[in-house]
Amino acid sequence: MAAAPSPADHPHNGLDAPDGPVQRTKVLLLGLRRAGKTSILEVLFNQLPPKQTFYLETTMRIVKHQVDTVIPLEIWDTPANVTAENLGAPLSEFSSIIFVIDIRDLYNQPISKLVEFILAANKAKGDIPIEVFVHKAEKLQEEDKIENYRQINDRVLDRLIDIDPDYEHLNISFHLTSVYDHSLHESFSKVLQKLVESLPFLEGLLNVFCANSQSPKAFLFDIRSRLYVATDASPVDSATHNLCCDYLQMLNSFGPLYKSITSGSSRQRPATQTPTPAASSGPSRSPSLHDSAAGSQSSDAPISPGPPKKHPKELFYPSAATTLHPVTPGTTLTYHLITRHLALLAVLPTSVYESRRGLLEYNIVFFREGIQEICDVEDEVRDGG
Amino acid sequence: MKKKVLLMGASGSGKTSMRSIIFSNNPASLTSRLGATIDVEQNHVRFLGDLILNLWDCGGQDAFMDSYLTSQRATIFQHVGVLIYVFDIESREAAKDLEYYRDCLEGLRQFSPNAAIFLLVHKMDLVRAGREVTFEKKRDELQECSPELSLSVFGTSIYDESLYKAWSNIVHTLIPNANILSTHLSTFAQACSATEVILFERTTFLVIATSSSSSSRPALSSTNGRTNNDARQSDNPANTLDPTRYERTSELIKAFKHSCSRVRGEFHSLEMELWDFTAVLDEMTKNTYVLIIVHDPSIETAALKLNIRMARRKFEELQGDSLISS
Ligand SMILES: Nc1nc2c(ncn2[C@@H]2O[C@H](COP(=O)(O)OP(=O)(O)OP(=O)(O)O)[C@@H](O)[C@H]2O)c(=O)[nH]1
Ligand SMILES: Nc1nc2c(ncn2[C@@H]2O[C@H](COP(=O)(O)OP(=O)(O)OP(=O)(O)O)[C@@H](O)[C@H]2O)c(=O)[nH]1
Ligand SMILES: [Mg+2]
Ligand SMILES: [Mg+2]
Repeated sequence: MAAAPSPADHPHNGLDAPDGPVQRTKVLLLGLRRAGKTSILEVLFNQLPPKQTFYLETTMRIVKHQVDTVIPLEIWDTPANVTAENLGAPLSEFSSIIFVIDIRDLYNQPISKLVEFILAANKAKGDIPIEVFVHKAEKLQEEDKIENYRQINDRVLDRLIDIDPDYEHLNISFHLTSVYDHSLHESFSKVLQKLVESLPFLEGLLNVFCANSQSPKAFLFDIRSRLYVATDASPVDSATHNLCCDYLQMLNSFGPLYKSITSGSSRQRPATQTPTPAASSGPSRSPSLHDSAAGSQSSDAPISPGPPKKHPKELFYPSAATTLHPVTPGTTLTYHLITRHLALLAVLPTSVYESRRGLLEYNIVFFREGIQEICDVEDEVRDGG
Repeated sequence: MKKKVLLMGASGSGKTSMRSIIFSNNPASLTSRLGATIDVEQNHVRFLGDLILNLWDCGGQDAFMDSYLTSQRATIFQHVGVLIYVFDIESREAAKDLEYYRDCLEGLRQFSPNAAIFLLVHKMDLVRAGREVTFEKKRDELQECSPELSLSVFGTSIYDESLYKAWSNIVHTLIPNANILSTHLSTFAQACSATEVILFERTTFLVIATSSSSSSRPALSSTNGRTNNDARQSDNPANTLDPTRYERTSELIKAFKHSCSRVRGEFHSLEMELWDFTAVLDEMTKNTYVLIIVHDPSIETAALKLNIRMARRKFEELQGDSLISS
C-alpha cells in the first residue's frame, strides 16, 4: 500500500495539486532568517499582496509546497538553521537551489552559508544550478543597489576560487529581486526555464511564430504564476516583459468577474478532458526556421495506440487583444490560450493585427499544436507512461 | 457647468492620496511620498465634457482647519456641491476628528445647505480583524453626530476597489440625467445581445451609468446599505454577476493604464473572448469608454465593435443633453 503523504507536509493553498503519482521537480529555497524566502513563494504562487508579507511568521520547519506550473514543482521552504545534513533528503534530488540574501546584509554569515551549500551541492551532483536572489533590492537607491549586488557577487566567487580555482566555472547565477516589482517574476522565470527540458523546442516554435507573424516579441507564460516559460530569441526588454505580465494579471482577474452564476458557459473547457477520437496528425509542414529535432520527433510520434489525444481541435480557446496608442504605429498585445497552463502573449504592430488576422489565427493554431505535442510528451514521461 | 467639491478631513487621513489615484492615475504605492497639503490645492478636472469638477483638497493640519472655520469660512463653504469628509480609521485623535467634522457641517449648513455629503471611513486595509464590525461602529458614531442628515458612508482603502465604489457613487450624483444614459445603454445592450453595458468616464474610469436599471444596482443607489431588489428584476441575468464588478473593473483598467504609461503607451482598447463571456472595451465618446459584456458565445467581438461605431454619434448627443438639461 502506498503511504499517503503526510498532510502536514502539504499545506493546502489554492495552487497545490492533488497528490498523484506525478514526478515533481524539486527546488530548494535557502537563506538566513527573514531573508524573504516565504514572502517570495507567497507572492509568486499564492497571490499574496507584497505589503501583506509583513505579517508572515518565521518558518520553523521545512514546508514542501507543491506548485503546478507548466511543470509540476515541489518547492522546499526552509527554516534558516537547515543544513545539507539535516535537510532530510540528499541535495542530489534537487534540480535547482535558490539562495536568498537580503541586499543590505553584507556580513559574513549569509555568504558562508551560501558557500557551504554550493560546496555540498557540487559534491552531491556537479551540475545543480545555484540561483542567488539578492533580495529586497527596492530598499536601496540605484547606486547602492548596484554596489551591494556587485559586492555580494564578488565575495561569493572570491571565496570559492580561494578554495579551488576550478570553482570559477560553477553554475551560479545572481539576480536582483524584490517582491514589490516585476524583478521577482522575471528572475524566477529564468530559474524555471532551466528546469524545462523542452525549452529549445519551445523557443524554436516561438521564433517561427514571431517570424511568420511579424511579432517583435512573444512570451509563453505560465498563466497562474505569470512566469514566462520561454520567449523568442530577441532580447527581453524588462518594460515589455512587465507590461505583458500586468496584462496577464488583468485578464486573469477579469475572467471570474463577469462569470454568470445562472447561465452556464457553453464553451467547452479542455480541462474536462472528454476522450475524443484521436485527431489525425498535425500539419507536418514545419517551416524552415524550425530546424530543431523536436519538429520531426513530435510529428513522428506514434499516435494510434496511445491514449486519446488530450487536445481535440474543435475546442474553444480563450483569446484577447489590447491596443495601445500612441506608440507609433500602435501596438497590440495579443493573448491566446495554448494549453491548460500556458498562454502566448505577443506584441504586434496594430496594423498587422488588424489587416492580417487570418494569418495570425493560422499561425496560432500551428503554434498551439506544436506546443501541445511537446507538453503531452513531457506529461507522459512524468506520469511514467 | 462647474461643481465645487470639498475634500476635507484630518491631516494624513488620505485625501491627496485618493485624489492622485482617481484623477492622476498614480499607483497607490507612490502615495507615501506625498507631503502634507498646504492650505487648499484647487484642481479643475474636466469630467464628461461640459461637467467640470472644481476639487478643493483642503490640507487638514489644525492651523488650516481653524482658519477654514473662521477667517476663510465663507470662501470655503459657499457654493459647495459636494462635501467629501475623510476619516482615518486608525486615527489616534478620533475625538478631535469628530469635533472638526461637526464644525465643518455647521459651516456647510450656513453657506451651502443643499450640498451632498459623503463620508469615507478610510484606510480600512489597516483593520486586521473584524473589518465589517469596525466599519459599522464608526458609521453609527458618525450618524449620531448628525442625526438629522441622511448620510452616505463608505469604507475605503487605496489598496482595493472600495475607493472606486465610493467615488463612482459620488460622481454619479453629479451627473443629473444619468438615468437617461442608462435607458439608452439598455437599448444598446439589447441591440448587442449583451448581458450588460457599462459606461465609464475616460480618465478616471469611474462608472457613469450602466444598462442595468439603477434600482437593481444597490452599489450606486443605496444609502446605509438599504437595498431594494424586487422580484421583477431577478430574471435580469446581470443580477447574477459579481456585485463588486463595477468598481473592480475600474480598478483593473486603471492599474493596466498605469502599466501602459510606463512604456509610454496609452491604453486604447481591449477585447476578450474568455471561457464565460465575450467583452469589448472601447471608446464611446470623447469622454467615455464603454464595456460590453456578452454571454452568448455566438456573438463575435467584431460585431460588437461595429455596434459601438454606429452608436457613437447618438451617445455624443445624449451626453451633451444630459448635462445641458440640468
Ligand atoms: N522591503 C522588502 N521586504 C521584503 C521583501 N521580501 C520580504 N520582505 C520582508 O522581509 C521579512 C521577512 O520575510 P519572510 O518571507 O518571512 O522571510 P523568511 O526568509 O521566510 O524568514 P524565516 O522564515 O524567518 O527564515 C518580512 O517582513 C517581509 O515583509 C522585499 O522584496 N522587499
Ligand atoms: N494603509 C493605508 N494608507 C493610506 C491610505 N490612503 C492614504 N494612505 C497613506 O496615508 C498617508 C497620508 O496621505 P495624504 O493623502 O498625504 O494625506 P492628506 O489627507 O492629504 O493629508 P494633509 O494633506 O496633511 O491633509 C500617505 O502616506 C498615504 O500613503 C489607505 O487607504 N491605506
Ligand atoms: Mg519563512
Ligand atoms: Mg494632502
